[in-house]
Amino acid sequence: MNLTEAPMTDSDDIAQSNGRRIMWIIISTLGIVMVGGAIAGYMAEHNAQGGGPLGTAGIVTFSVFAALIAGLGYVIWTNSRKLKANSEPLTKREKLNRNILLGCGIGGGIVGLTISLNSTLTASSDADAIDLFLNSSIPPLAALLLAFFWGVIMPVISWVWHKRAIDEQEASAYRDGAFYAGYAYLMGAPSWWFLWRGGLVPEPNGVAIFILFAIIWAAVWYWKKYH
Amino acid sequence: MKNQLKILRAMRDWSQAELGQHLDVSRQAVNAIETGKYDPSLPLAFKIARLFGRPIEEIFDDEFDGGTDDGQ
Repeated sequence: MNLTEAPMTDSDDIAQSNGRRIMWIIISTLGIVMVGGAIAGYMAEHNAQGGGPLGTAGIVTFSVFAALIAGLGYVIWTNSRKLKANSEPLTKREKLNRNILLGCGIGGGIVGLTISLNSTLTASSDADAIDLFLNSSIPPLAALLLAFFWGVIMPVISWVWHKRAIDEQEASAYRDGAFYAGYAYLMGAPSWWFLWRGGLVPEPNGVAIFILFAIIWAAVWYWKKYH
Repeated sequence: MKNQLKILRAMRDWSQAELGQHLDVSRQAVNAIETGKYDPSLPLAFKIARLFGRPIEEIFDDEFDGGTDDGQ
């Protein structure tokens, strides 16, 4: 049989990609963390103006924040359900991959939100909103737990993810992400540093650089894997 | 790299996900190979060839123009 005469079945083109659902889960998780940061910033500003009970404007603002968190939580919940209900057959490798990503996303969201809320509760009256979100102090026990998770548990999860959960196409996408993120760091961080020394921009912020590095890496990985 | 994977898959009436299960790769990986966005490693190319019982060069076309190895 001539290969070019073979019948075509394109049921895959109809099936919705899980990639879009995973993207919404990741974006919504980041959104919740950012709303947490906005709450911290709002409270810092509130304290800077003397603190005390929130007025009507404050209650309305917090209602909007709460609605945003609830909405983003709903997006995560519905997409997680659809992801689980998807009848697309998955290999053991893919199931492990999905579970690790979901676990890291949910765990990261909870940790980020907790840190944001802690920053809110401990905000001093002269705190800068961005600085508060990125650099405010946290309890020593929380710091130890987070450092243990990031420095000991995450390498184990990463090892399992690379060895057991991803296939070669995703590994390639991940390497591409590292390539772009690495160059963005090598060129972006010194540029920021030079501009700061010239008195043109605020001092380079290590946490902000780390977050941008991670976002570029993840964005390229996502694009290469799902497009 | 152009290839015949989509046609071979259709001949067996498999979805991308089903082919992925046979190859132990994701549906996205099958899609990326079929659309030429990702070239499989040599071990995966051999696995595909064995699965469909065809030589690699019948499945994958490197668009070699037929010239000699020294480029002439």
